[in-house]
Amino acid sequence: MAEKAFLVDTSKCQGCRACQVACKQWNGLPGEKTEFFAGPEYTNPGKLSAITWNHVIFFPIDRSNETRPIWTIMHKKCFHCAEANCMAVCPEKAIYKKDGWTVIDQDKCIGCGACVHACVYQVPEIAEIHHTNDAGQHIIVKDRSHKCNACTQNEREIPACVTVCPSGALLYDYRNKMIDYAQKRVKELKADGYPNASIYGLDQYGGLGVITVLRDKPEKYDLPVNPPKFDHVKAEHTKDVYALLSTATMGVPALKRFAYKAAKSISKDA
Amino acid sequence: MTNHWIDIRNADVVFIIGSNAAENHPISFKYVQEAKDRGGKMINVDPRFTKTSSLADVYAPIRPGTDIAFMSGIINYALQNDFIQKEYVVEYTNAAYLINPAYKFNDGIFSGYDSGKKTYEKDTWKYQLDDKGIPKKDKSLKDPNCVYQLMKKHFERYTPEKVESISGCPVESFKKVAELYCSTHKPDKVATIMYAMGATQHTIGVQNIRTYSILQMLMGNMGLAGGGINALRGESNVQGSTDHALLWHIIPGYLGAPVASKDVNLEAYIKNNTPKTNDPMSMNWWQHKPKYLVSMLKAWFGENAKKENDFCYDLLPKAHKPVPYMTMFEDMYKGQHKGAIFMGTNPIVGGPNSNLILKAIEKLDWMICADLWETDTSVFWKRPGANTAAIKTEVFLLPMVSSVEKEGSVSNSGRWAQWRYKAQQGPGNSISDLDLIDELFLKIREMYEHDVKAGKKVALPDPITKANWSYRHPGEHEADPHIVAKEINGYYVGKDGKKGKQMENFLKLAADGSTACGNWIYSGSYTEKGNMMARRGLKDASNKIGMYPEWSWTWPVNRRIIYNRAAVNRKGEPWDPKRWVVKWTGSAWKGDVVDGGATAGPDQKNPFIMNPEGVARLFAPALADGPFPEHFEPLETVARNLMNSRQLNPAVSVLDTMKSTIGSTARFPYIGTSYRVVEHWQAGAMTRNLPWLTELVPDMFCEISLSLAKAKGIKNGDKVKISSARGEIDSYALVTDRVRPFKIDGKMVEMVGMIWHFGQGCAESGDSCNTLTPSVGDPNSSIPEFKAFLVNIQKA
Repeated sequence: MAEKAFLVDTSKCQGCRACQVACKQWNGLPGEKTEFFAGPEYTNPGKLSAITWNHVIFFPIDRSNETRPIWTIMHKKCFHCAEANCMAVCPEKAIYKKDGWTVIDQDKCIGCGACVHACVYQVPEIAEIHHTNDAGQHIIVKDRSHKCNACTQNEREIPACVTVCPSGALLYDYRNKMIDYAQKRVKELKADGYPNASIYGLDQYGGLGVITVLRDKPEKYDLPVNPPKFDHVKAEHTKDVYALLSTATMGVPALKRFAYKAAKSISKDA
Repeated sequence: MTNHWIDIRNADVVFIIGSNAAENHPISFKYVQEAKDRGGKMINVDPRFTKTSSLADVYAPIRPGTDIAFMSGIINYALQNDFIQKEYVVEYTNAAYLINPAYKFNDGIFSGYDSGKKTYEKDTWKYQLDDKGIPKKDKSLKDPNCVYQLMKKHFERYTPEKVESISGCPVESFKKVAELYCSTHKPDKVATIMYAMGATQHTIGVQNIRTYSILQMLMGNMGLAGGGINALRGESNVQGSTDHALLWHIIPGYLGAPVASKDVNLEAYIKNNTPKTNDPMSMNWWQHKPKYLVSMLKAWFGENAKKENDFCYDLLPKAHKPVPYMTMFEDMYKGQHKGAIFMGTNPIVGGPNSNLILKAIEKLDWMICADLWETDTSVFWKRPGANTAAIKTEVFLLPMVSSVEKEGSVSNSGRWAQWRYKAQQGPGNSISDLDLIDELFLKIREMYEHDVKAGKKVALPDPITKANWSYRHPGEHEADPHIVAKEINGYYVGKDGKKGKQMENFLKLAADGSTACGNWIYSGSYTEKGNMMARRGLKDASNKIGMYPEWSWTWPVNRRIIYNRAAVNRKGEPWDPKRWVVKWTGSAWKGDVVDGGATAGPDQKNPFIMNPEGVARLFAPALADGPFPEHFEPLETVARNLMNSRQLNPAVSVLDTMKSTIGSTARFPYIGTSYRVVEHWQAGAMTRNLPWLTELVPDMFCEISLSLAKAKGIKNGDKVKISSARGEIDSYALVTDRVRPFKIDGKMVEMVGMIWHFGQGCAESGDSCNTLTPSVGDPNSSIPEFKAFLVNIQKA
C-alpha cells in the first residue's frame, strides 16, 4: 500500500473540474469530443477512459430531506487498490506498484483488456487508434491500457489534480493522516445533520489509495462497501494458459492479444 | 468589494445571494470554506439549487427578480425584533437624521415623481437642517420623520407571508435565513454579503444592492473584518476597468463625466460636482474633487494645461445625453455610428437583445475586432442565416496577445492592483492592447497634425494634438506599461525640489496645476520607492486578520478594508477585539490604514467619509428611483406586483427599439434567466476554442424542472427551441430536480435557466441566449435585465 493517499472530500467539492483539466494538461491528454452531457447533470465525459484519467461525477440531487437537499459532486479516478485486481490479472506483468501507486508500464502493455475487465471501479481503458486504410475504410486499432498513475510518470511532488483544487476537496498526504482527517470530517458532517456520512476506501481491496468522504452511504454513489472478491485461482490459471500460448506470438501485440483471448476462453471452460 | 477575498474567512455568516460563487468565482470558495472550517455558516439564496447551494448550510429559493421583497422581509424581521446593532446604527448611519416632512411614499411612488419624464425631483427627500446648516437628528430614534421611523413604516409591509407570495420562498425557509443572518447584529458577530450579476442585472438592480447595504448597516457589519458588501466582479480586471472609467458616466477615479448642458467650464463642473457640508464631524472626502480633476487634466494635457485655460477642461468630451451600452447600440442601429472598435468584447453574444445588436453592426461602414481569436462578432457577416451579400461593413480582425503575454496590472474584486510580468512572447504578429492604442493614437495624431499644417479644415484637433502622450522610451517602438502606471500614480510638476518625482499618495495632490495624476485612487501605487503593485511580501499586519499589506497594493492608499473607522466604537475600541481591523490608542491608529487620515480620532470624525454627511445612508436621497428600495416586477413578468399597483420600476424608461418587442405570458409563459458556468468565459471566444473545456460543456443548454419537462414532453438531453418576443434559439435541455417551479401568489410558475456563453463562431458554436434577453436596464446604472424575462420552450 502506498504510504501516501489522496483524500476526496465530496462535502467540500464545488465541481469546478480544475482537477479534470489539470490532469489532461500535465499528462498531455487530449479533450474528448462530447455532445451535451454524457452522464448525470454536468458529468462529461460519462466515464473514465484512456484519455480521461479523472473526471467529476455530478450525482442527481437527493431531495429526500427537504430542508437539506444533497447534491453530491465527486472526483473519481483510479482508486489505487492495495491489492490491485488489474495487477493480478495482467498476463504481461505490465501493471506494477511504484511507491504503492498502481502503474501501467506502457512498454509491456499489450492492450489485452484483462485489467479493464478485472477492475470493479471501471477505471482503465484500452486506447483506440483511429486511421483510414488504403481502401478508405475507417479502422480502429486497440492499443494499450491507460489510467491515472498518481503523477508518478511525468513526476511531480503533489499530483496535478490536487495542486489546483481551490477548496480543499482534494488533498494528498500520508495515508494515516488522511484517514484521521476523513474521520474528523465525518464526525463534523454527522453533527452537521448528515447522519449517514461515511468514508470509503479504508479497507476495500486491502485499502484504497483514494479515501473518499461522503455525506451519505457509499452505495448511494455506486461505491460497493463489500466489493466482489477477486478470483485468484482463475486469474492464475488464465495467466498460465496465456504463458503457454504466447510463446507462439513472436512478441507481436496483436497476436498476444489474440492469445490472451484464447487463454481466457479456455480457462473459462476449465 | 469593501473588503477582500481573503477576508471572507473572517465571517461568522457568509450570505451569498445573486451569485453562484462556487461556479463563477471558484477561488472565493477557498475562503468560504475557511470560514466554514472556523465554524461559520453559509446562506445561499438562488432561483436554482446550484453548486453554491450544494455547500450551503441554509438554502432558500427565490423567483428571479424578487430580491427586494426577500431582503426587505429580512429588514422588517430585524426591525420588528430589534435585531440591530443599535449603537452602530445610531452613530454611523443616518437612522437618526430627520427628513423633510413633505417626504411621502404612496403605492409605489415616492414624493417628487414626474410621470411624464419618469424621474424624481428629490427636494422632499432631503434632510432637515438646523440654523448652522447641519442635518437635524433625533438619537432616540422616536421622531416620526427620522429615517429609522420612516424605514420601519416602509418595510413593515414586507411580512414573511408577502415574501412568500412574491418570491415563492416558503415562510419557513425565509425565517431560517433571516434568523441566521440577523444573529450577526451582535457587535462581535459579523456577516459578509457576497453578490454578483444575479443581483445587479435587473431594472431594480441598484435597489437590490441597497437592501444588502441597509441590512449590513443594521447589523453593524460594515468596516469590520469578515463583513462588508462584496461585489464579486465577473472578470479578472473588471474592477480595474471600472476604476479607470470604462463606463460612460464617469472619468477615472469615479469623477462624474462632464455633462454638456451644465458643466460648461471648470468652475461650473467643480460647483456642480463637489459636495459641501457644514458638519464638523464630516470629512466629506469629495471636497477634494477639484484637486483630482485638475491633476488628471495635467496628466492628460501636460504643459498645455494651464490655469488660464482651465487646465484644458474644454478639451474633455461632454455628454449630451446618457449613452450607456444599450443606448450606444440603439444609436448604432439608427445609423449614427460610422465605425466601431471592439477590443476584447464580443457584443453579439454578450449584449442584450442581440438580434438588434446584429442589425446595428450591419449598419457600420467599418468594424475593428481586436482579440485572441476570431470572435462570433468578427464573423457576424457569415453567421447562419445572414444575408452576406447585403452586408457592406468592412471588418478588420487584429491579433492581440493574451493576458500572460503582456505586462501590466490587474485589479481584482478586493481592489488589489497586482502587477503581472510577461510570461512569454505572443504568437505571430499579435500585439498588446496598450501597443494597439498607442500606435493608433500616434498615427491619428500624425494625420491631424499633417492636416492642420496643410491648412485643411479640421474639426476639433486640440484634444488630439494637445494631449500629453508619450509612453515609449526614446528609440523604442513599443509603449512601456511602467510609464503608463507612473502617470496613473501621478508626479510633481512644480513644487521646488520635488519636480518630476512620483506622488507619495493623493493627499498631496493640488488643484493649482503643480501635480499631475492619471487616476487619484491609484495614487500611491507607483511611488519613488518603486512599483508597489509588484510587491509580494507575505507578512501579515499586526491585527493578523489576513490583510497581508505588503502583497501588491490596494486602492485607496493600500487600505485593505474600506470604511474601517466603523470597525470601532466612538472610543476607538474594536467591536470585536479578536478580529480587529483598526483601533485607536488615544493618539494614533493601529492596524489597517485608517479611512480619512491618521490624525482624527474616532469621536472627531464620522466613518463614511465619501458621503457629505459622513454616515451611511439607510435612506438614500440621491438615487434615481427612490430613497428606499421597493419591489417592482421585471419588465417581462409572470406575476402582478403585490406590493403596489405599479408593475415596472416607475423610474425606468424603455428604449424605442425595445417597446415593440415586450412579451407577455400569453405567448411566453415561463421565466427566463441567464447565467454562466465555470468552464466558459463570458461570451466564450476564449473557451469555446479550447478542447479541454469544450469536452466539459460542449453545447448551449438550458435547465428546466421535472414538472416543466413532463408538461412539455421533454427528456433530459433533448433538443429544444426557446423563444422570447425578440427571437428564438436552439438548445439542449438539462432536466433536473435542482430547478423547481415557484408558487407565486398561489400559482405555480416555471423557469428556464440558460447559459449565455455560446454564439455562431469559434470552434464550438451554438445559439446565443442573448437573442432572447431584453434591452432594458436599471435607471441608476443602466445594467440590462439579463436575469428575468419571459420565454416559451418547445421540444425541437
